Amino acid sequence: MAQVAEQTKKSPMGGIGKRIAYYPGCSLEGAARAYDVSTRIVARDLGLELDYLEDYNCCGAMETKNVSFWGTVLLNARNMSLAKRQGHNAIVAPCNGCSFSLQRAEYFLNTDKSVYNRINELLKEGGVDPLDEVPTTYHLLEWFYHEAGPEEVKKRTKKPLRGLKVANYYGCLYTRPHFYARTYSHTATEEEEQARPHRRETADDDEHPYYMNALLEAAGATNVEYEPMHTQCCGGPHSLSDEQVSEKFVMMLLQTAKRNGADVIATECPLCHASLEMYRHRLMMKGVPDVDVPAVYFTQLLGIAFGHSANDVKLKDNLSDPIPVLKRLGLI
Amino acid sequence: MAIHERSLVEPERVLRKERLVIDGVDVSGDWNLVILPRVIEDYDLDFLDEVLKQPEGKTILQCYQCSYCTASCPVHNYWDERYNPRHFIYLARLGLIDELQKRADVIWRCVSCHKCTHRCPKGVLVEETLKAILKVMSKKGLIEEYPSKKFDTFFLEAVFEHGRIEDGELLFGWIEKQGYQVFKDPILKKPIPFLGGTPEWLKQLAVKPIKSMNIDFLILNAKHMLFHPKTKNWNKFKQVLRKVFDEEGVSLAH
Repeated sequence: MAQVAEQTKKSPMGGIGKRIAYYPGCSLEGAARAYDVSTRIVARDLGLELDYLEDYNCCGAMETKNVSFWGTVLLNARNMSLAKRQGHNAIVAPCNGCSFSLQRAEYFLNTDKSVYNRINELLKEGGVDPLDEVPTTYHLLEWFYHEAGPEEVKKRTKKPLRGLKVANYYGCLYTRPHFYARTYSHTATEEEEQARPHRRETADDDEHPYYMNALLEAAGATNVEYEPMHTQCCGGPHSLSDEQVSEKFVMMLLQTAKRNGADVIATECPLCHASLEMYRHRLMMKGVPDVDVPAVYFTQLLGIAFGHSANDVKLKDNLSDPIPVLKRLGLI
Repeated sequence: MAIHERSLVEPERVLRKERLVIDGVDVSGDWNLVILPRVIEDYDLDFLDEVLKQPEGKTILQCYQCSYCTASCPVHNYWDERYNPRHFIYLARLGLIDELQKRADVIWRCVSCHKCTHRCPKGVLVEETLKAILKVMSKKGLIEEYPSKKFDTFFLEAVFEHGRIEDGELLFGWIEKQGYQVFKDPILKKPIPFLGGTPEWLKQLAVKPIKSMNIDFLILNAKHMLFHPKTKNWNKFKQVLRKVFDEEGVSLAH
């Protein structure tokens, strides 16, 4: 599988800002608490500062956009306005769904003047400051990579994740579609790159993302081959409404990871994570082979490498129970 | 003879003879298969106009039918070949609503992975366009209510009501909508996950935090169940949202 060659990989370039507006999203304050807690720990250790977005609302995820276009853009514009109020021009979202929704709104606000004008009017009507400038949204992974980077992670690592084989699962919306995520191929020719007018310099590679691989490798873990499943769908917004399809997709993800020798799957989205854990359990109940790989947030793994305990990064919250695997390898 | 995009041809339109002899010449092999032509009785020119009116469907005319979207689509490749984004765009542009209706059982199955949109060489927002087609089909009554729409509306209602969603409420509310008997405590009417007629996998997962004595996690979730996480000053914004929904023709239960 064609992976990004070492020499074409980007080195951390900064420029996003060490202090950033933090949009956790609903999930991280509920079932995905472990992701929130470990994100804060890792950010603090890396010398980065998260400014919690007060009084935010749901981004609408993938669901509301199918029902109401204007409603979804409006929901996200409100969050952007809150970020502006707190004096930020950049937002970081740890969830693929949230970063997608914000970036989608960003795309429509920036490219369509009529959308921009109408949304500003609606914001005013709703008692929120209108947007004079549209803030940029970054995924947590991108922020960590460019503001801290693998070198910094290596420096902070006290207990390297030696012997841990990780399958890095990025999910769909971290790099796709390029209109919103503004990603592009690092090996593309100049001409092809120019065809994507909205591309962002700090963005990950579109079809072969590697930021999570680089960060976890710096923390001492071994990455197993996981392409092309690393950006394959987990069922996403249909996790609950279309169980048959989701079950099959998750089965493929888990079996590929297991058969490629992974001890754990590292995730970076609470919805992917929940979907993997839920269907892993259901598949195991059915007796499907090779599906018992637990899912761990990449920030939890980084937290452990930085010397925090299993309780600090809330490993107990993971319903797929990664504790025995990590204990066996002597990491916790 | 191999049929290109076999999934687009209904089985009853394929005629195949084991041995075919015409004028004394045996033509079995390459020539013993005939696909009956499709009869188009009616088309709806209005359909394309409606799709173009949707903010998401504006790029539909840029499509040049290369089928890169279909080749990328996980639902097409791993689930059902009849789910074919290129074909749906083609049918919508010609207004062949009968043909679209024949695929009503799969057309809602898009998982929004955005591979199609990402890879489209013509800059069509494929995923969004397909959702626009689906929206227009719903509006015209060409498709009955489908599971993903039920869930989407249910989700939107939760967002609209409180400004934020709560995972437990969403999950159990949906399970209840599916027809399972969710056990609720008699006083506060909140679901108790491991009692009642909820599916076995859900019961087993719900018991896990109790078994592992993950006390603070249980407290957090109990707190969220009792006091729904809310956005402050939501009421004023809610009115604006309602106005937008009314304009778009979105009907909510509340």
